[in-house]
Amino acid sequence: MGDIDSKDDFKKAKDNWAKIRERYADKIKANPNQSGIPIKSVYTQEDVEDIDLNGMPGVYPYTRGLYSDGYALTPWMQQMVFGFGTIEETRIKMESLVEQGMEGYFGHKVFNVVYDVPAMYGIDADHPEAEFNVGQCGVHMSTPDDYDELIRDWELETTNFSLITGENCLPGLAQIVAAAERRGKTPDALRGNSMNWYPRIAVQDIPSWKPDRGYALMGDLIKYCTEKVPAWNTTNIFMYGISEAGATPVQELAYGLSWGKSVIDAGKAAGLEPDAFAGRLGFQVGIQSNFFEEIAKLRAHRKMWAKITREAGCTKPKNMHARVHIHTSGNVLVAQQPLNNTARITMQIMAAIMGGVQSIHSCSFDETIGIPTELSHRTAMRSQQIMMWESGLRDVADPLAGSYYVEWLTDQMEKEAWKIYEELENRGGFMKGVGEGWVKQAIDDSAYTRKKKITDGSIPVVGVNKYVMDEEEAYEPFRIDMDIERKAIERLKAFRNKRNQKEAEKAIQMLKTACQDFNAGSGDLMPALVEAARKGVTNGEMMEEMKEAFGWEVTE
Amino acid sequence: MSKTNIRVLIAKKRIDVHGRGSKLIAKELRDAGMEVIYYRFGTVNDIVSTAIQEDVDVIGISLMTSGHLQIAGKLIPALKEKGMTDVLVMMGGVIPQVDFEDLKVIGIHKIFPPGLPGEAVAEYIKDNVGKAKLI
Repeated sequence: MGDIDSKDDFKKAKDNWAKIRERYADKIKANPNQSGIPIKSVYTQEDVEDIDLNGMPGVYPYTRGLYSDGYALTPWMQQMVFGFGTIEETRIKMESLVEQGMEGYFGHKVFNVVYDVPAMYGIDADHPEAEFNVGQCGVHMSTPDDYDELIRDWELETTNFSLITGENCLPGLAQIVAAAERRGKTPDALRGNSMNWYPRIAVQDIPSWKPDRGYALMGDLIKYCTEKVPAWNTTNIFMYGISEAGATPVQELAYGLSWGKSVIDAGKAAGLEPDAFAGRLGFQVGIQSNFFEEIAKLRAHRKMWAKITREAGCTKPKNMHARVHIHTSGNVLVAQQPLNNTARITMQIMAAIMGGVQSIHSCSFDETIGIPTELSHRTAMRSQQIMMWESGLRDVADPLAGSYYVEWLTDQMEKEAWKIYEELENRGGFMKGVGEGWVKQAIDDSAYTRKKKITDGSIPVVGVNKYVMDEEEAYEPFRIDMDIERKAIERLKAFRNKRNQKEAEKAIQMLKTACQDFNAGSGDLMPALVEAARKGVTNGEMMEEMKEAFGWEVTE
Repeated sequence: MSKTNIRVLIAKKRIDVHGRGSKLIAKELRDAGMEVIYYRFGTVNDIVSTAIQEDVDVIGISLMTSGHLQIAGKLIPALKEKGMTDVLVMMGGVIPQVDFEDLKVIGIHKIFPPGLPGEAVAEYIKDNVGKAKLI
């Protein structure tokens, strides 16, 4: 009875609504969101009739969140990216971030350390191609000394070290394992995250391994950690990279999930059961500029990953969890009137929280001009902290559940993403897409389309094609002394002088053999890298052997 | 509008991942009818030798990871030394505006902030190619 009455009431209200807007209704068009899904101006119960709204947070398929009470037990992790200079400069920054309240779950320490560009691609400070990039956009990490200083005095069992190592991923892990051993610990004491994101050559033009070798190395790291460093998060599925390269939110979702599926396949190929490693995969996701679209994306993402992992053979709930770290999207920030970016970043943080993510890095407003200043970086973190403690945004789990619009949009994003995902899987999957270049082509096309629309004004951007000011604003970014290059080279030299050269050379020879065995499918690589790290081999030296054995090329 | 077949070298450091902007500019300059050689360099000397080999009219360097002043400081004298003094040299990307003047003093003809429409860059090239000198 009550249902019939309320249906009648709704019909009456809707008729009235239609009457009121009759005069101008034909002027209102459904506008496409960033993913190209047309958005109406009003949503009602009719739009969610076919959608299952019976879900609960913490319950499969986790559309409403991974945890049954959202952020009630602990807020998200503030995982600010940082790192510059040598480890000496970065160590000071680590301590100041802790002092400023940067925390992970339950007050634990969490460090999201970004390497400089040379270190990411496995060249030491004295390599000719490292010139002008040492310690600039990240910290230069290379020698065992650097890693000892990174972990010095931090309690390993509770501190999370997320290492943004680029292609230098296996050597980076080997170094931190050896550093933990020097502190008298076994590797299982370590907590943290390897990026392990070789598949990103599908979307970014960087030098890397050939796809089949990249996947094999990724599997090797997963296997090593599963056995020796079980609390280490082995793999970061880099949806942010997909998004920054130009993908729409739906493409980011579809390609990211397909990437994730390819990692599960790689783990299985390395002889592991999905339940043994799927729980240590995590996602890094972007937040662009359409608030509700991004929230819907995050909700759909959890639901889809739960389904994919279950179908892949996972049986434990936590192994079906899409754990998400948000990197607020840099590509939507603009250089014009840079302080305006704080509004964009705040909106992005809000979307991330309402989307129920596990961890957030918020960009600094001046990243479009140069390296963030102390003030802009701190303000980006404080923006998270304000949302955390003042806004009430985290009081209720999945606060937008039941909204006609958000539920409908979540469903639409999911449907559209499955279409792209299925198409990709039918064409042979993500790894094949990497090799043949068609994922990159689709994303490049989206980037081009978006830029055309910004140029013709159909996508409004404040300061760029709207409210443009001729007046130029001089802004002084953070400067990292170029002399840091000399300092890094000196540190490297000093380290090489004090190490046992014979032992190091022997370890390099052993690594060479291990690389050949790995190629032949007759041995694991990580143990040889850890042994090399114990003997004082630098990251650049390790990568040199690996490049020779596994191929090294820019895919463009 | 002094030249029809304009050859542009878009140079991007090999170990820099941020290729979205440079690839878009390359595509937009092609849309504008220019011949674009998209090149990933290791060191500054690589840019010089490729520019000579490809006999380009314009060099555009895309930078997202610092070092703009140092790269310019090495590039311009090297170009002059090799006698390549009639080339138009531009930089674009994440470059602080407060450094634009210093870059011009070194010899960079034009610096573009990120996110500009390719048309603006194409227009600048068409207006200035063949006129610029490195002195």
